[in-house]
Amino acid sequence: MFRTTIMGLLAHRLRLVLTSLAIILGVGFIAGTFVLTDTIDAGFSQSFTAAADKIDVAVRSKDDPLPPSLLAKIGSVAGVKDAQPVVSGEAPLIGKDGKTVGELVTAGVSFPSYRLDVTSGKAPASDGEALVDTSTARTQGFRIGDTIGVLDQKNVRHDFRLVGTFDVGVDQSLAARGAVAYTPATAMRMTGATGYAEIDVTTAGPSRESLRTAVAAVAGSGAKVQTGEEVASDLAASNGASTEYLKVGLLMFGFIALLVAGLVIYNTFGILVAQRMRELALLRCIGATRRQVFGSIMLESAIVGLVSSILGLAAGLGMGWLAVFLLGTYQPDVEVPTGTVTLSPQTIVIGLATGLIMTVVAALLPARQATKVAPVAALRTQTEEHTFRAGVVRIVFAVLFGLAAAGLTYMGVTAKPDETALMTVMAGGVLAFFTVLILGPVVVTPLSGLAGWLPGRLFGVPGRLATENSRRNPKRSATTTIALTIGVTLMTFMAVLTATMRATADQELDSQFPADYRVAAQTGDIPHAVAEALRGHSELATVAEFREVDGKLDDEDYPIGTVTSSVLETAVRPKATSGSADGFKPGTVMIADYVAKQLKIKVGDDVRVGTAKNATPLRVVAILDSQSLLPSITVPEQFFDERFGKTDDNQILITAADGADLDKARAIVDNATQPYPAVKVASSTEIRGQFDEAINGILSVVTGLLGLAIVISLLGIANTLSLSVHERTRESALLRALGLKRGQLRGMLTVEALILGLVGALVGTVLGIVYGWAATTTISESVSFRLPVGQVALFIAASGLAGVLAAVLPARRAARTSIVGSLASD
Amino acid sequence: MTTITSVRSAVTAQGLTKVYGTGDAAVHALRGIDVGFATEAFTAIMGPSGSGKSTLMHCLAGLDSVTDGHVSIGDIEITRLNDKRLTLLRRERVGFIFQAFNLLPTLTAEQNILLPLQIAGRQADQALFDRVIDTVGLRDRLRHKPSQLSGGQQQRVAVARALISKPQVIFADEPTGNLDSRSGAEVLAFLRTSVRELGQTIVMVTHDPVAASYADRVVFLRDGLLVREIEQPTPQTVLDTLVALEA
Repeated sequence: MFRTTIMGLLAHRLRLVLTSLAIILGVGFIAGTFVLTDTIDAGFSQSFTAAADKIDVAVRSKDDPLPPSLLAKIGSVAGVKDAQPVVSGEAPLIGKDGKTVGELVTAGVSFPSYRLDVTSGKAPASDGEALVDTSTARTQGFRIGDTIGVLDQKNVRHDFRLVGTFDVGVDQSLAARGAVAYTPATAMRMTGATGYAEIDVTTAGPSRESLRTAVAAVAGSGAKVQTGEEVASDLAASNGASTEYLKVGLLMFGFIALLVAGLVIYNTFGILVAQRMRELALLRCIGATRRQVFGSIMLESAIVGLVSSILGLAAGLGMGWLAVFLLGTYQPDVEVPTGTVTLSPQTIVIGLATGLIMTVVAALLPARQATKVAPVAALRTQTEEHTFRAGVVRIVFAVLFGLAAAGLTYMGVTAKPDETALMTVMAGGVLAFFTVLILGPVVVTPLSGLAGWLPGRLFGVPGRLATENSRRNPKRSATTTIALTIGVTLMTFMAVLTATMRATADQELDSQFPADYRVAAQTGDIPHAVAEALRGHSELATVAEFREVDGKLDDEDYPIGTVTSSVLETAVRPKATSGSADGFKPGTVMIADYVAKQLKIKVGDDVRVGTAKNATPLRVVAILDSQSLLPSITVPEQFFDERFGKTDDNQILITAADGADLDKARAIVDNATQPYPAVKVASSTEIRGQFDEAINGILSVVTGLLGLAIVISLLGIANTLSLSVHERTRESALLRALGLKRGQLRGMLTVEALILGLVGALVGTVLGIVYGWAATTTISESVSFRLPVGQVALFIAASGLAGVLAAVLPARRAARTSIVGSLASD
Repeated sequence: MTTITSVRSAVTAQGLTKVYGTGDAAVHALRGIDVGFATEAFTAIMGPSGSGKSTLMHCLAGLDSVTDGHVSIGDIEITRLNDKRLTLLRRERVGFIFQAFNLLPTLTAEQNILLPLQIAGRQADQALFDRVIDTVGLRDRLRHKPSQLSGGQQQRVAVARALISKPQVIFADEPTGNLDSRSGAEVLAFLRTSVRELGQTIVMVTHDPVAASYADRVVFLRDGLLVREIEQPTPQTVLDTLVALEA
């Protein structure tokens, strides 16, 4: 039996190539994920070890910074060769446009350092000298010898001479923010740090362990004293957590791909068994038992699974290597240290196991089917048509799953929007998918008719024959298309979700404050002079100042805020979940819903608002929606001024007057903020553009990753088609004899694939839209649902096109076959 | 139906040679055959197994290429045509009835019958359709799929399909090979009726002397050569000729 299986496999290796490809891709993606994350991890731990190698003992602050006096004390411990402080704080670097650089505040650090390396120039030697990190120097166009401006804690500009650049090494936070380095004393002064974040110690001879004990004795309880090795493993662990996210995220897509591959395998083995009925029956005739037939199919699947998984591992190594290479080439700003690409034993075990198990499990049902072949089937000549009748069991299961799916979805949609509701909806979605899976063979026939309606009319006889062919084996068609459905469902789901989120965010912004410009400070507050300079221009209709200070609400620490009172009635329209902002007047307060929930406050309650020493009772008139722009605790402006004084602004929102020249309006806002480097202006279009960009970025990454599932399902379509072509060789020959041109025969198969693709896409988009909608209802009470019609249409068109691509090779083969040869064969 | 037209040939072959393979593996299936098939006549091609009768039919019908020689259907020499022109020629001028697997399982009997016309984008002649359907007795079976028809009924559908497009010639390859004797006799009777009443031209390959006896003329092949022919055959004369050839 074993020999028969092997010989059979060798004889039909071509028909298994596409199946293998599906497994190779699935396993390859999973293995590639491990290879990528392992490589990054290995690279990081190498650099951590290298970085920590220079440090023998590190004294690290726990809660409060280490007092500066500790440095001298540690320096005088016996056995200490050198002790260097690590200062860490903010250093708002001013770029060439006069504004602070980047989205995040640039970090301020100190030299000399055991952690950072000077890459060009020299370390800062005096108060007037500074360095910037290489990446910031490149993006901002700073050169050694330039004068750079940095803001201190009071937002006052100080100039430094740039004497060099440095590498931030393994510190991911510094890499993301960019950094300026000074001498320790200047760093303390500029960042306003009251102490050190860390003191790094080198040994004059004693072992690291003994030095640590000695240093710990003077460091006191406010510090954590570690050896270099401990520091390295700490860093590696915290970084490992972040690669863990990457790994889990990528693996999720890998498993989706593998699930699709499983469906493809299941279908392929199902068809192979159906086509080999006579061969299997012959085996039974000459004495093979059912068990042996079953075993031979399982063995075949195991061999295919194993061989493909091994190839998949190789593919994974390639994909991992490619990803590492691309990261290094196209993202030079992201400091990802990468070691040599490795295929760890763990990856090999996981890759082989998932591929093998998936293949064998997928082949189980077809193998069972094979055992049902009666020996007498060997003697029948005519192959039977596969009629399909929906059995009672199928219908019962479909109804049960359908009801459960509908119930869960209804519960999730009608429940209060929160995470539980979202999870409920998602569970409903999974059940709905199973319902579709069970009902597939039932619905695929009418759906093919629908999808084939137009081609049937456009392409005449070949079109109509293709429609018939696509529905002649509903089970096969259903499994083929459902594989495509998975990818399309998830893509549509993401598209609906992001479109709705974008629309909702836009609408929130528009309804609450249709601002044209937002002024915000990167560090500190916005001086009052800015708002003053903005007032009195006819081009600007509203200037709304938002202010916030730390205060007390019923003796709890909360920020207390206010907004320019005149705009509250006109431009700012806060949304209340209960009560109304209309009654907001002296003696009252509005509270955000999350605060109200924490303190169990409702409209009509009296709360005490103010400072610890001086609190005034105010009546709550409105609970604000958490997406409201207003401060969490909004008090009338006059009350705020009396209690907290005329504080600086947190942000200013500005609308241009109707019909005003927008260029002029923008110029006024730019001029008003010009003297303050940390105060930045963004127009609503810019804000939306950034938001859109972020959302588009996520969408394209997710779509790209789901693309793998689509590719695998296409292999499935190609596989099903080529096997069907093989099955229908004589039919094709008959059609050719009756006058169907080669091109028409090719067209017929192409249309069949097109229909399969469209059916998969139709089901997928419907599921995706329904569950995209359901999911958006669980995000917030007031979402403005958007159907990205263009994108959905694109998915459908792309699926159809993909089906056509999948048909190219099978159709060519069918058209090339000789008529006489095919008619003669049986 | 005049004597002049019946003498004219619907299909002719001159020096028809077909060799499969090359060198030592070469098989000479046809070794130079000159033959003509009269219009509005029913001709049977007979011969022992391996005599090349099926190959001859495939070459005559333009299903297979020839190694040497010429074949004409009507006034068109098909041995010069490319695949596309051949396909169009089959569509317009040739009908087929095969031994088995004649029908598309997805189509009903009626759709199968009309298939060649639809492929050619032609309308069926309703009067002819009715006449053909009544001749083969399929009126109440038109909506059935092939799997719901008996073997004899399936073959009658195939006959109707071949007749409906009024081809210049119908090639039938062992059309009764898979049928019981009664169904077979029915199908053969239809073929003969269609020649007599509809003026159809039919060339049939068979190894059954009884089937051959329905034809107006029988040509005999042996080892790729045309060796004998008889007019107005009976089962006995056909059998005698076959026995003589085997000897």
